[in-house]
Amino acid sequence: MEYRRISDVVWELPATSGMAVPGRIFASEALMDLVRLEHASTQVGNVAHLPGIVKASFAMPDIHWGYGFPIGGVAATVVNEGGVVSPGGVGFDICCGVRLLASSFTEADFDSHKDAVMDNLDRRIPRGLGKGAIAEARLVPDVLARGAAAALDAGYGWEDDLEKCEERGTSAGADPSVISNRAVERGRGQLGSLGAGNHFLEVQVVDEIHDPAAASVFGLAEGMLVVMLHCGSRGLGHQTCTDQLRIMGPAMGRYDIALPDRQLACVPVNTPEGREYLGAMAASANFAWANRHILAHVAREAFADAFGVSPRATGMSLVFDVAHNLAKIETHEVGGRPKKLCVHRKGATRAFGPGHPDLPEDLIAVGQPVLVPGSMGTASWVLRGVSDNPAFASAAHGAGRVMSRKMAKKKESGQTVREQLQARGISVRAGSIRLLSEEAPYAYKDVDEVADVCARAGLAAKVARLRPVGVVKG
Amino acid sequence: MPFRVLSHTADTGIEATANTLGDLIGELCAGMFGLIGSAEPASAKKWVEVEVVAQGMEELVVDTLSELLYHSEVENLIFCAFRVSTGPKDFAARVKAGGVLVGAVEPVGPPIKAVTYHDLVVEQRDDVWFGRVYFDV
Repeated sequence: MEYRRISDVVWELPATSGMAVPGRIFASEALMDLVRLEHASTQVGNVAHLPGIVKASFAMPDIHWGYGFPIGGVAATVVNEGGVVSPGGVGFDICCGVRLLASSFTEADFDSHKDAVMDNLDRRIPRGLGKGAIAEARLVPDVLARGAAAALDAGYGWEDDLEKCEERGTSAGADPSVISNRAVERGRGQLGSLGAGNHFLEVQVVDEIHDPAAASVFGLAEGMLVVMLHCGSRGLGHQTCTDQLRIMGPAMGRYDIALPDRQLACVPVNTPEGREYLGAMAASANFAWANRHILAHVAREAFADAFGVSPRATGMSLVFDVAHNLAKIETHEVGGRPKKLCVHRKGATRAFGPGHPDLPEDLIAVGQPVLVPGSMGTASWVLRGVSDNPAFASAAHGAGRVMSRKMAKKKESGQTVREQLQARGISVRAGSIRLLSEEAPYAYKDVDEVADVCARAGLAAKVARLRPVGVVKG
Repeated sequence: MPFRVLSHTADTGIEATANTLGDLIGELCAGMFGLIGSAEPASAKKWVEVEVVAQGMEELVVDTLSELLYHSEVENLIFCAFRVSTGPKDFAARVKAGGVLVGAVEPVGPPIKAVTYHDLVVEQRDDVWFGRVYFDV
């Protein structure tokens, strides 16, 4: 597929053969070279066939090959003009996302209590296959309906956590009745668990401040110790997506929808199947919000225990919690007129700019925090939403893989990767040392480049660069 | 005929060939769980039986693998032995899967979240059945 460069960091695939809109990738020359090596650019073109899609099929700078949608894909359809919702534009891990906690500690504090902190986290954070969960299964029905609010009422976390979570930790329109028994069974033993693969808990240091005013509003300061969590809706979300795809595939024929990739299965938003999917997605998202809320609670307890203080005395307030696998009904301007859109972000983060009414009051002036984790052992970034974002208020979600897990494991052993991280002063607690190499830094893109392109493209502005000092993996 | 692991940037996949559809399904089952952790078939301690009737060949494979994935997760098993029969309807299969507890197996890959339709192939080529399936991890 021939992409032409239309500006410094924007590449366009003209709309041809069934594409309703062009494809548009935000990438530097170096990142675009990586895109050309795999199938992701083809997937951007395929997404452009979705009924009701407007403006463009977008891809963020961390784009890589997914299934159906590329990872890093953003597509919006007009709800009241037959626009569709596609589970592939959300992903199996519904509402996978990132939570960032500030703290009263510094790197020196961590160094003097490192083993205690890391051993506590290792012991208290369930991750990997069959390793259990923190919360009781009986909470699941309430969590599906009310998300993090249900977890708070069950004794986890702090009340002010809800204000700093996207959607205040409760996705509107959740319909627990359409979550299958199978999905509930998969989720029952996983509420308050990290998972595995690319999910993690990292202890990080605020290394560089690029926007002092925004950093101050976010509660971040140079040298501060912070904690970042990455996980989602676990087996409940995975099963829900599987269940909904099974419904949607046959339903497409009834709505005369034909697409170049089966994994783009979709139906119009304003149909029984579309409404059911959104209700199921929201309920699954509630599980994810609650999951991260509970894990953050346990992280606070781990630090409190290690330092011999109360959880409140850790100062581990919530900076923000973002989703990067979700479809949302939002109003955006299209052709000069406000339109109700179904915005799919698959491996892409919402990035509301200053003035957006959905933001907490203290963030309205600076815009929403956008959390972009790098690969294990490299940096992560805190960005902020900006005005006039060209992709329906969306930005990158991470570093993006460049290497398959198979190749990554062949390149180095997990033991070697751990030694390399430890040599750089990063303390590692892995559920499986053998699998560490799948998540090694060399398997991912340069997150600094991704953050840089976000800034240059007007997707989000840099606020702070974070450096890891401790990693907990499944 | 053992399965082959395929490269994919974010996820993982397998392909396999077999003389019969039932054997192919068995190979794909073995491949899927082999991505997570391996155990000798003779070590299987707990057995489950799944029965799938699907709309087509591809759905049969996806639904069968998805059923076993569900059982694996809720019962904390890694399946390592498979007895597959197909029919009597066109797109129907019955699988008896034997497994060991998750804790008894050294993980060789991340848990599988779901079976996808991405680049899915299930077809008979001359006298040999061929299948390819990718998983979200």
